[in-house]
Amino acid sequence: MVIRIAAVGDVHLDQDVVGRFRPALEQLPESADVLLLAGDLTRHGTESEARCVATEFGDLGVPVVAVLGNHDHHCDEVPAVIRVLEDAGILVLEGTNVVLECAGVRLGIAGAKGFGGGFAGRCASEFGEPEMKAFVRTTSAIADQLGEALREMDCDLRVALTHYAPVPDTLAGEPPEIYPFLGSYLLGQAIDSAPTELALHGHAHAGSERGTTPGGVRVRNVAHPVIKQAYSVFHLHPPYAGATAGKVSAVSAGGSS
Amino acid sequence: MTQRGAAGTDPPDDYLEAAIQRLLTECTEIAEQGITVTRRDHSVLLCGEVESARRREEILRLVVEHFPEVPVTVDIGLIRTQAPTEVEELR
Ligand SMILES: [Fe+2]
Ligand SMILES: [Fe+2]
Repeated sequence: MVIRIAAVGDVHLDQDVVGRFRPALEQLPESADVLLLAGDLTRHGTESEARCVATEFGDLGVPVVAVLGNHDHHCDEVPAVIRVLEDAGILVLEGTNVVLECAGVRLGIAGAKGFGGGFAGRCASEFGEPEMKAFVRTTSAIADQLGEALREMDCDLRVALTHYAPVPDTLAGEPPEIYPFLGSYLLGQAIDSAPTELALHGHAHAGSERGTTPGGVRVRNVAHPVIKQAYSVFHLHPPYAGATAGKVSAVSAGGSS
Repeated sequence: MTQRGAAGTDPPDDYLEAAIQRLLTECTEIAEQGITVTRRDHSVLLCGEVESARRREEILRLVVEHFPEVPVTVDIGLIRTQAPTEVEELR
């Protein structure tokens, strides 16, 4: 059974954007089983902007699962933002997961905002000033939660959803100087710790669409300015990675089928 | 001795791009991180894509208000929101 996943990130909604996505979203249930939102849903994280997201992405006719982005954190109203989204039926993942039943297939989605730090060989280390250590520890704690959330699911296929990038491939087009603010290899490592089928992220507005983790997981940057359409749709065909014996050796028992 | 602009008059060129970039991000009315700011001869070029026409106008208004001496050229587009016409098959 093919699972159809629609995804977009970085819609940065406020009152001035409400209605722009809606015509395309009305057609979404015909072409996708689920919609994933890859963070930066609001302009700067107010409760009233979250209401705009609820208006635009609520009542779609398919499950909507989201992670938050850095913009959604700006005003320190995260609990209110999450409440408004969840009241509209949009599930927000923060180092957590959900298993959805899609046409007899158990689709597992694990999500986390992620954070920066950079990529192998050019990354920040947990060393020096407390601020630096706190920065790196933030990323590694989020990555640990994401890995755990991916591995513990009892499902047929796994999708990882983050805001920050897990690989540098999908940052191509961004200035290399800002890569450490755009993602972290720790997220890629977490994704590779489970037999993940697809990893979706946003945040890198000037990045590019396609990449792969060192473990071979397909990565797609679905930031709205990158995909230049209301959402992208991915068809995941069986056999799924979780069913491919020996692909990942560190999978916990019962974690895959 | 080399000629320098009197302190506080001309915006110091080397810092102008950073100042505009931070203004567009940190002013919560805008909160745009995706606009590139480039100096061209004697003007500043703002490039990128935003989610609404109103945001493009706000960006121009804000930059002109904060840097009235600097001629500004705006080439900012609206990100399209049509439904996709193709899907990606992942096997
Ligand atoms: Fe964004
Ligand atoms: Fe972001």
